[in-house]
Amino acid sequence: MRVELFGVPRLLAGRRAIEVEPPSPTLADAARALGAACPALVGPVLDPASGWLVEGYTFALETRFTRDPAACVPPRASVLLVASQAGG
Amino acid sequence: MHGYHGRYLRVDLTTGDAADEPLEEQVLRQVVGGVGLASYLLNELCPVGAEPLGPANPLVLATSPFVGTGITTAAKLAVAARSPQTGFVGDSLSSSYLAINLKRTGFDALVVTGRAAGPTLLVVDGPVARLEPAEDLLGLAPAATSDAVRARFGTGFRVAAVGLAGERQVRYASIVNDGRLAGRTGAGAVMGSKNLKAIAIRGDRLPTVAEPRRLAEAARALAARSLGPATAKYRELGTAANLAFFERIGVLPSRNWADGGFEGAGALAGETLLVEHGVDRHACAACTVGCDHHYRTRDAGPAVETRLEYETLFALGPLCGIADPNAVLRAAARCDELGLDAISTGATIAWAMECRKRGVSLCRGEHVPAFGDADGVLNTIDAIARRAGVGDLLAEGTRRAAEVVGQGSAEWAMHVKGLEMPGYDPRKLPTLALGLAVATRGACHNRSSAYEVDLSDRLGDDASIDARARAAAETEDGAALLDSLTLCKFLRGCFRDLPAEAAELYELVTGLPTTGVDLRRAGARIVNLKKLFNIRQGWTRSDDSLPPRLRADVPDLDALIAAYYRVRGWNADGTIPASTLQELAFV
Repeated sequence: MRVELFGVPRLLAGRRAIEVEPPSPTLADAARALGAACPALVGPVLDPASGWLVEGYTFALETRFTRDPAACVPPRASVLLVASQAGG
Repeated sequence: MHGYHGRYLRVDLTTGDAADEPLEEQVLRQVVGGVGLASYLLNELCPVGAEPLGPANPLVLATSPFVGTGITTAAKLAVAARSPQTGFVGDSLSSSYLAINLKRTGFDALVVTGRAAGPTLLVVDGPVARLEPAEDLLGLAPAATSDAVRARFGTGFRVAAVGLAGERQVRYASIVNDGRLAGRTGAGAVMGSKNLKAIAIRGDRLPTVAEPRRLAEAARALAARSLGPATAKYRELGTAANLAFFERIGVLPSRNWADGGFEGAGALAGETLLVEHGVDRHACAACTVGCDHHYRTRDAGPAVETRLEYETLFALGPLCGIADPNAVLRAAARCDELGLDAISTGATIAWAMECRKRGVSLCRGEHVPAFGDADGVLNTIDAIARRAGVGDLLAEGTRRAAEVVGQGSAEWAMHVKGLEMPGYDPRKLPTLALGLAVATRGACHNRSSAYEVDLSDRLGDDASIDARARAAAETEDGAALLDSLTLCKFLRGCFRDLPAEAAELYELVTGLPTTGVDLRRAGARIVNLKKLFNIRQGWTRSDDSLPPRLRADVPDLDALIAAYYRVRGWNADGTIPASTLQELAFV
């Protein structure tokens, strides 16, 4: 699964995208796998205890935004990680 | 009364007279402050049919009860006038020390009417106003004007000034203070039309606060929240962070909106700019977020260091087909020096570029740059500010320029009500499409804020038209409330229930019992107030629309607009029935 990073997550990770292999296609497992693959995200972006997103960040499955840990990532879909605050 | 002075200062530049005018507590409660207060005064003082660039059009600067209280991000003032771009309500927010100084004068607002006989500086020193000649300031950039005025009168003054663009009444000229801009809707042109080069403000009298100790605690708590992840994007990257993500999801407009993506976005991404061009970060007065990122050119050309927002980046970059960050930084700096709204500047140049591409002649013998011509953009920006050659046409903005040129060029004039479009493509953002179409000041993402709905999980793709209309009205009311409390929109994520939490702050400042419901209604009241101004100045249903290029891709637009009018309690033609005004306890 490919997770594309934008904004602060990209700065912290130092790369545009991370390939992860979560045990299930849920976003909860994707987030935990992301933290394992890139520890720099744990704390500022991913909650150290739960492994889930801290307030202020959201996933987008293409243009469908969700903070639902149970949401399933369709096969071959891109997962985008971005700040919840969209404007400016 | 706490939090307010209950007075505004009215200055007539034609006569030189100044008057201390009352503001009743009931009015202030209903319109809150900031954009609400500025819109109220504009409604009261602008005659129907007043020429936007004529002496009767009042230029209003208004503060809020939060200014000067230590509440983070609240050092803002609203600027309002009948817009020379739209002919409707023109309102804009600017931040920092000028707002605090205005609040310290003993007035909640300043209203300037008339026209001075020659170039003039308005000095507001506490409760006293006077006019000074300003011939020596003509042609200076706003920052240089501020430096000169403060050197002459003292650094205790803070200065709002126009650049060359305002002096020449470019219809999208801005007013600049403390490095911040009241950018949109052409307030700088209004100021220039009054022969008013600058306003210097100093004072030492803030209003009392009802509950100072409890307010300090609440302000500290909000400041602490403002340092968390909800604002990290703005703090670490600034609004330039939008560009890469918008390009990825296909909402970054390019080449005058002909394309919905841009191959050069990588070099312009906020993340790239920060690493390769970032210099430092600034904050407005009394702000803990500090979103103002500055960047430096890194090539062999003339060195420039400047601030850069997403909207500037989009308008002077992809919209004009430019992928070189150095070129965008130079163009952004030039807009600030000349006092130009970068969105309308870029959009108007992009319109001219498309004219050239289509073989539509704008001005015989004059050079119009092609998409991607960075030097041409810089030269055109200068020409616009000087109103030289083709710049004189482009200084009128896309709507008027297209009316002059004809040849079908209105089809690619990207504006709503005469205000050029911001950098969010509504073809993929259906709630924002509605928000942009109905916004009282024209194509404005900030007054609508409906992108919050589209770029979140608030509504699904299959949301009903009524649900989308309700969401657009709610975000618009929320934006009106923030703009009237003069709280920064970047704080949004720090509130769980904005009206309720803002009501607590409002009550601590003013001592007036206030609930979240009261403030929610105030937001709706302020939107209605602005609409009422537009109706009086000739608004009709056909003004609520999108540019022709976009309309076909938003097939539900008319149904969305009709639903929005219903949600607002308006008539089917978009006018406001007396019952709705009564329901809102209208002032």
